[in-house]
Amino acid sequence: MPLDPTPIDPRWAWEPYRPSDAAPWNLRRVGHLHRRAGFGATYAELQEGVRLGPTALVDRLLNGGPGQDEFDRDLAPLAASIAGANNAAQLRAWWLHRMLYTPHPLREKMTLFWHNHFATSNAKVQNAAFMLAQYELMRKYALGGFGAMLLEMSTRDRAMLVWLDGKGSAKGNPNENYARELMELFSLGIGHYTEKDVREAARAFTGHDLRGAELVFNENNHDAGTKTILGKSGTFRAGDVVGICLEQKACPRFLVTKLFKFLVSETIAPSEELLAPLCEQLRKSDYDFGALVATVLRSNLFFSERAYRTKIKSPVEFALGIVRGLEGRIGTTVLADALELLGQNVFNPPSVKGWDGGPTWLNGQTLLYRQNLALALTSTEDPRFGRRTDPAALAKKHGRPTQEQALALFADVFYQGDLPAASRERLAVYAQKEKADTLPVYWTAEDAANHRVRALCHLVLTQPEFQLN
Amino acid sequence: MTLNRRSFLRGGVTAGSLVALGAVPGFVQRTALAAPTSETAGAKDTILVVIELTGGNDGLNTVVPFKDANYAKLRPTLKLPADQLGKLNDDLGLHPQLRPLNDLLDKDQALCVVQGVGYPNPDQSHFRSMDIWQAGSLAQNLTEGWLGRTLKHLPGTPSFHLKTDNEGSPLAYEGAPVRVPSIKTLEEFQLQLAAASGADKAAQRDVIEGATRTAGGEPGLLDFVQRTAANTYASSRRLQEVARNYQPKATYPDGNPLASRLRLAAQLIDAGLGSRIFYVSIGNFDTHSAQAPAHANLLGQLGAAISAFYKDLAARGHKDRLLVMTFSEFGRRAKENGSRGTDHGSGAPVFLVGGRVKAGVVGAHPSLTRLEDGNLVHHTDFRQVYAAILDQWLGVSSKDVLGSEFKPVPVFTG
Repeated sequence: MPLDPTPIDPRWAWEPYRPSDAAPWNLRRVGHLHRRAGFGATYAELQEGVRLGPTALVDRLLNGGPGQDEFDRDLAPLAASIAGANNAAQLRAWWLHRMLYTPHPLREKMTLFWHNHFATSNAKVQNAAFMLAQYELMRKYALGGFGAMLLEMSTRDRAMLVWLDGKGSAKGNPNENYARELMELFSLGIGHYTEKDVREAARAFTGHDLRGAELVFNENNHDAGTKTILGKSGTFRAGDVVGICLEQKACPRFLVTKLFKFLVSETIAPSEELLAPLCEQLRKSDYDFGALVATVLRSNLFFSERAYRTKIKSPVEFALGIVRGLEGRIGTTVLADALELLGQNVFNPPSVKGWDGGPTWLNGQTLLYRQNLALALTSTEDPRFGRRTDPAALAKKHGRPTQEQALALFADVFYQGDLPAASRERLAVYAQKEKADTLPVYWTAEDAANHRVRALCHLVLTQPEFQLN
Repeated sequence: MTLNRRSFLRGGVTAGSLVALGAVPGFVQRTALAAPTSETAGAKDTILVVIELTGGNDGLNTVVPFKDANYAKLRPTLKLPADQLGKLNDDLGLHPQLRPLNDLLDKDQALCVVQGVGYPNPDQSHFRSMDIWQAGSLAQNLTEGWLGRTLKHLPGTPSFHLKTDNEGSPLAYEGAPVRVPSIKTLEEFQLQLAAASGADKAAQRDVIEGATRTAGGEPGLLDFVQRTAANTYASSRRLQEVARNYQPKATYPDGNPLASRLRLAAQLIDAGLGSRIFYVSIGNFDTHSAQAPAHANLLGQLGAAISAFYKDLAARGHKDRLLVMTFSEFGRRAKENGSRGTDHGSGAPVFLVGGRVKAGVVGAHPSLTRLEDGNLVHHTDFRQVYAAILDQWLGVSSKDVLGSEFKPVPVFTG
């Protein structure tokens, strides 16, 4: 995919966006914000966003809505039973349910960002309790201090101890897996450390272990000798190595680059100068990701054409956006299965690098399955979802009795009206067309009209722009 | 824009050749050539079809060392008469029901028999041993398959499990970056519509495909989506045509479920989706009693199915892209049991079929006197066969997939 090299002024980029005639606050910007900071919006949320204005809406997304504690309390018993039964299938469904119905979508979205960052797979860990604990760790710090998260991930996370073989790593013959990925994938990026650094750091990580499900530190297995890591020498332990990594200039740069791609754009090749203010902020704030995410979400660049529709939707964004737009309450076990066919099996990323994302989400197989999933979600005839995501019910709820009005509603919910004129025209022609359908004889006129509305919604969702975020 | 001559000559491989065959409407011609295909994902477009013989195939009555006097001693009732075997060489013959494979060897040089394949300390549990073969690993905890890991190195390559009714996805595909679909019919791999009539269907298709017609404009993500979509819809359409009109260029035997699934694989290959890996299985090889008729029946299905599949694809110009591999979780006990059957064993032959295999037999038949716990001893690790397929056929590093170096068995020509 060719990247757009047009230079961007860093000062302008990160200044807070203020609505203007050239860049008005409208449905499109509200939809864009909800897609990036969450999993898409309902019609009511879009309308309310326009009313609130950018500052208040970003505030709300950063803080989340009311009922968060209650939501967490309601779902805790289910988590406990999933952990107790080591139920890998329900584990996935549980998180998808949270993403869909949480009062704080940005926190779940950023948790998904960190899941892709630490990319731990239950395929190897094989322990739902460990995976849930790691999830809770990432959610706790999703909009908080990266340093504290990295420290806990490096020293007290059982899923990670299994995933990257820290478990049982002992003096004399340390396992280098965690030390390497800490530097390569979690904090610095390739080229900012040496093989010697990896080997020395691995010594510092010795001694951590699991006894059954219990975390233990075995002093006898720990290499207490002097290590030299990234230019520093001392009798370092795991926490010291994390501290040394966080001090490196490469660390904020590495994290900011990743966040930029996640929140802003997959098509901009960000220059050193463009990212510098964000790196500076992250370093000065002691790695406060809440503040960093706030800066990005409020910025001129975020709300500009350069960021708009410059990402390929992940399968989670694609499917959850439909369910949220249709205001459906669905069982997420079947959704988890469907997402696996689209290439995003949460809690099971394909490798330590996580999902590659971007254009790799789409090929002749996954795009077909996306379109067929859109049909399953809109037809009401698929046993997995039934009538729980019914476009006809949505149209009725919002008082859109005709085909044309239903089309306008779907175009607003899923595109905020931003469809090419030719596509809109094709859809309108289809909506108006007299159908020579051979419908079942027992259908009422309303059944037939509903059927057409559902077919229309499916066609709306198959437009290429819907694959973009 | 030039047509890729190589792929065109082989026929029906890429979007480019779809155009050449006149199967694609004009707008796709402008766009599909630039869309992702196997040509751009990897340098090669070779195909691997894995056939799992579930239950433990009796290797000793599949590839028979008829000159060895011990054979008749070990198999007093199950021994196959030498004059009925299809000779591979002076010492070895295939089960009479595998005659179609002898023909592939004699007429097309398209059969390679790798002898004595297994792994150290063979496990006699169907499940554990099958997991080991499918994972390509002897690790205690097996969660990823060798083909799933292979697909990590072939991003964007469609692959299929062609399943029977109640069959789950094989472990072999676990770990793939995109879950490999298990399908029973071509309809499952088509663009589905909620249309109530043929006319409505056409109208809906027009709305969906109309939006891809502007592809080829500004480069960027939208153009990428449009091109991918145009290619996807063309493939889907082609699949519908293939499902309706596919005329096999060889006769697939009736009443042979394996042949039906291989025919499906042939259709998917010929549809030009860029699919490269297929997995099918055929069950009931666990012949503990009254083995002779059951085993003959299964091998008859296997031989006829593979032969038809090979001939069909060869006639379409795909023979040099095709490799079929058969395997079973283990062979069976050298000495037959008291029920005219055989119990679980180890080391057994692997068949490779395709236009580029080294024709004939590779490796010696396992000794019938030097047994371990009554079982034939393997001399070739199954991962050496995988290594050859990975390194020399699929173009994926076997070390990356298998975790360490295995010396490839010489099974390919040149």
